[in-house]
Amino acid sequence: MNPWMLYLVWPLIKFLIAFVIVQVIVAAMNWIERRVLGLIQARLGPNRVGPWGLLQIVADPIKFLLKEDIVPSSAEKIAYFLGPMLPLVPAFIVFCLIPFGPPPTFAVTHTNVGLLLILALTSTGVYGIILGGWASNNKYSLMGGLRSAAQMVSYEVPFGLSIVGVLMLCGSLDLVHIINYQAHHVWNVFPQLIAAFIFFVSMNAENNRTPFDLPEAESELVAGYHTEYSAMKFAFFMLAEYSAMLVNCCLMVSLFLGGWTLAIGGYGLTTATLKSMGFMGGLLGTVIFVVKVMTFMMIYIWFRATFPRFRFDQLMDLGWKWMIPLALINIFVTGIVVLAAPEMIINGSVVPVGETILAVAGAATVALTLFLIMKPRAHAPKVIHASRVSEA
Amino acid sequence: MQVEYPKHKWTDKFLLLDMFEGLKTTFRELWKPKVTIRYPEERMEPSDRFRGMFRFSFDRCIACKLCAIACPIDIIYIDVHDETLEQPDGKKKKVKVLDRYDIDVKRCMFCSLCEEACPTKPKSIWLTTKTYELATYDRGDLYFNMQQLEYWDERPEYPGLPDEDAPPLAPGLVAANRQLSGGAK
Repeated sequence: MNPWMLYLVWPLIKFLIAFVIVQVIVAAMNWIERRVLGLIQARLGPNRVGPWGLLQIVADPIKFLLKEDIVPSSAEKIAYFLGPMLPLVPAFIVFCLIPFGPPPTFAVTHTNVGLLLILALTSTGVYGIILGGWASNNKYSLMGGLRSAAQMVSYEVPFGLSIVGVLMLCGSLDLVHIINYQAHHVWNVFPQLIAAFIFFVSMNAENNRTPFDLPEAESELVAGYHTEYSAMKFAFFMLAEYSAMLVNCCLMVSLFLGGWTLAIGGYGLTTATLKSMGFMGGLLGTVIFVVKVMTFMMIYIWFRATFPRFRFDQLMDLGWKWMIPLALINIFVTGIVVLAAPEMIINGSVVPVGETILAVAGAATVALTLFLIMKPRAHAPKVIHASRVSEA
Repeated sequence: MQVEYPKHKWTDKFLLLDMFEGLKTTFRELWKPKVTIRYPEERMEPSDRFRGMFRFSFDRCIACKLCAIACPIDIIYIDVHDETLEQPDGKKKKVKVLDRYDIDVKRCMFCSLCEEACPTKPKSIWLTTKTYELATYDRGDLYFNMQQLEYWDERPEYPGLPDEDAPPLAPGLVAANRQLSGGAK
């Protein structure tokens, strides 16, 4: 094929398609989030515009475009305008690097350092937030921006460390390789349960989502770093936030939940099986990927509806005193187990013993947790009436 | 009262079971029926003891003005004139005829003290009309005269359109005639 087509035109077309789909999902997420939150809070959520309020997805952007764009007179103009753009650009570029389906058709690019690039790009999002917070010339905005910066820096560490365990098992920074590895072994959640947990918590913190939404704590900071932003600039912040959420969900799915595959030990819908089905197989893989990602987006909303906000010192405590040591322990244990019990050949097939041990332990923990969740627990405290206190 | 909270097992803490318990609760809430009433399409029927708009009964009222005295903000305006009536047995009797019974509802706090003060049985002024749609487009619309108070249930319930069917203001004579013909026999 013509190299121009191969390296410029096709990736551009694929990126545009991915971009449009992602933007629609991001816009829809706004509606889904409000609706699900409403349903959990015994109300209905937005249901007036169109059937089930679905046209809210269109109405919101129109409103944002038509609203007056207020710039505070005391704002630092250049930084104020840069604020919403800086987090938006990396959040969009990252979608080039995520394989939504079996490559090369369903991934824009395929680099062997994809994961590293994604981490590098997503962590630049904090610049826009802190710049916007500072340029607004408002103490609440600045507080929000600083909190966001502190939080993102703290949680970037366990975020990165939790990935190390996966890299040790898979031996590659290539997301496609990691996904294929999981299809031929087992989903990484099981051998890397602790890492998956740390990754999930850190990604909640990275995206300033509840229970880590201190940068935009309504009860403390009006709206945090975007207090002074209105109209489309505010929408840019929202877009960046939701895009970042989507990116992190994609990473979670690729790293720990087998990406577009639906296979264990090489049986099921592996990449090879999907590719043998041709274009439709690839489409099926993409659908599986999107379903997994949307599940995690729903969990974000579910968390928001459930958990109260952390205090700032509790947040830092959790990050530095629990998440980082836990991530280090995870790396240590993974390393020891993988080194001590390397691959063995049983009945002619290669079995990675160490990984199997970890996977069994992880699966047992998941099963135990599920069992204990399902089991009804004593909710209400036992009340002893006053007349019986003297007896007891 | 002494409260004993259930002891936490190590598994509770290690597996974050309390957090999962919270998630379980919100998940259950998701499927429960919702309390929202989509107002213009759906309407709430108030309970029988709902304290809504006034209703006034001309036939029961004895024009004693006790409600106006009881009213803490003096928004009940009553005009009465005396009239002599020829009884069937030839005796002459002086009766009070109500000319005006207005309530300035826009200032009313719906304390129902007028209802309590009313000496007739059943009450001539009461607050149990199940109407809560009292919004109007004009301040003046919240000044209710006798006829409006009496025929409140016939007024349009949703204040979307200006009210054209409301009974016109009747002069005091009409009221006196009504009492002469129906009320005091």
